Amino acid sequence: MWSRTFAGLIIGLLLSVSIVLNLNLLLPIKEDTMLLIGLLLAFPIWAGIQVWSYSFSSAKKAWLKLSLLLIPSVLINAVLLSLR
Amino acid sequence: MNKDSLKALTNAHAWVGLVISTILFIIFFAGSISLFRDDINVWELNPHYAVNEQSESLSLDRVISTVAKEYNINTHGYFILSMPSVEQPLANLYFEEKLSDDEHVDQHFILAPNGKIIGNGNGSSWGDFLYELHYNLHIPEVGLYFVGIVSLFFFVALLSGVVIHWRKIISKFFQYRKEGKKDKLLDAHNLIGVMGLPFHIMYAFSGLVFNLLIIYQISYAVVLYGGDQSKLLTAAGVVDVHLEETKIVLPVQGIDNLYLTAKATLGEVSINRISIDHFGDESASVTFRGADKSQFSTRKEATYHIASGRELYLTKDNFDNDLRGGLAVISSLHFGDFAGYLIRVLFFTLGIGTCYIILTGNLMWIQKKANLRVEKQNTMGLKLVYAMTTGGFIGTIFASAIGFVFARIIPIDYVGRSDLIAYIFFGCLFSAIVVSLNIKAQKQFAAIFLKITAGALALTPLMDWLFVSQGIMAMLNVGYYHVIVVEGMLLSLALFCWLIAARLFVNKRIEVDNEIGNVINTLVQE
Repeated sequence: MWSRTFAGLIIGLLLSVSIVLNLNLLLPIKEDTMLLIGLLLAFPIWAGIQVWSYSFSSAKKAWLKLSLLLIPSVLINAVLLSLR
Repeated sequence: MNKDSLKALTNAHAWVGLVISTILFIIFFAGSISLFRDDINVWELNPHYAVNEQSESLSLDRVISTVAKEYNINTHGYFILSMPSVEQPLANLYFEEKLSDDEHVDQHFILAPNGKIIGNGNGSSWGDFLYELHYNLHIPEVGLYFVGIVSLFFFVALLSGVVIHWRKIISKFFQYRKEGKKDKLLDAHNLIGVMGLPFHIMYAFSGLVFNLLIIYQISYAVVLYGGDQSKLLTAAGVVDVHLEETKIVLPVQGIDNLYLTAKATLGEVSINRISIDHFGDESASVTFRGADKSQFSTRKEATYHIASGRELYLTKDNFDNDLRGGLAVISSLHFGDFAGYLIRVLFFTLGIGTCYIILTGNLMWIQKKANLRVEKQNTMGLKLVYAMTTGGFIGTIFASAIGFVFARIIPIDYVGRSDLIAYIFFGCLFSAIVVSLNIKAQKQFAAIFLKITAGALALTPLMDWLFVSQGIMAMLNVGYYHVIVVEGMLLSLALFCWLIAARLFVNKRIEVDNEIGNVINTLVQE
């Protein structure tokens, strides 16, 4: 259980930061509104990923599947930041 | 969702709930009481300084000149005047006194409606103690983040609970099976959980925002603003009106006129906080902050340079920033400060209901593990969970009840009063956990302990009328009912504890008697 907890906690945090950053970089909305949208979305995403990590039957699967979601999101971050 | 995933999620829901249960109980119990924090502060202090008039003409200049004559106010420290309001009938003054270049001391004075200092407020902060217990458990530095992590797992427990219960969420919405012991606990857990779901989600989310916002703040500052925190704060609506210090000494005066200017400029507003920056320097500025009660969650603020009267900053709508406006809405929802007492009573009831959900969750786990074969039982784990449930949960309520009693009976001017009450609180809580770790008959202990706690809760209203009845009557005469609100809250908690003791922790002997009775009846029928 602890390993799945850490999988959700770490990847969930990174993924939530990554997704809201992507939204921030993609959507043409004014700065303060975007910060608010990011704040409103980030925590539910983190908690949702944590729940998802618990639904896997093994910790290995949880780390793997969550990482597979994180990698493309981080790559999009990198591309968007380089294009900025 | 397939069967294996659902099973894994059900196990995780129970595990997460169990791990965070004691801390979450403390957070929710202290938080529910803290909804009446202002009332508790008034309950503790005002009967000792009851005045027979309502606040009408508080002269700010007179207060400031009186205090400045008697105390060396630190120019680089804070100077805050909390104005009289419906929530707090007396004004409170907070500032930092400079004893030497390196030595400063915090001062807190109570002011009469005419501005005269009538008492020292340093020793009265029971309401604030409970509030701090709610948001950081009185753990310095890391307590805030620890509570944030617990809030995250509360959110996780909520979401996983919804997923687990999803197929039955409508069809079994009102199900409550009184007969079966496990069914009764499960149904109560589900019923309160589903009915209060929007409230629970709001609390889990807003708790996370208050306690873990720093994580996203850092990541945004690093990635989006190239590590420049000030750029992020500007985008987030944080306004810096700080003026450079001139080192020219100038007495603070003209605040009454600036107050009138601020009121006229801000329009519909109830100014509740006045703060002075650079007190005593030519660069000093004054900020008037308040809320527009006619609108939902609208903060207004005006800052003036005292010497010239020049306006330095003005906002009539949450700092004219969507993020600040959003945070103000989240804050109003969390504190239930937007619809008078009614909403706070509702939130209080739901908060105590959440405590009941946590309790039933633990009891179900205990019941499940206790029913396992002896060789499969983890005796130590079971004992620990039972002790944390009885000692930790009931201990928190008991410690709070004793805290209320001592907040009433310790003289208001007793030096070190607040610290003493804090020690008593933690002493009671840890003693309860230690005692329950060493008790075998947990059920009986829980029932007796709950009844003692109910008695302790009911004791405070009695103490009120024995010790400060005159002050309470003076408050009632001018229409301040804070003491009655606190007494009502304590009595309702006492009733809740008594009912739990009578219904949930039924005496084992009675159960055995009932079982024996059932067996006899069956035999007779056969």
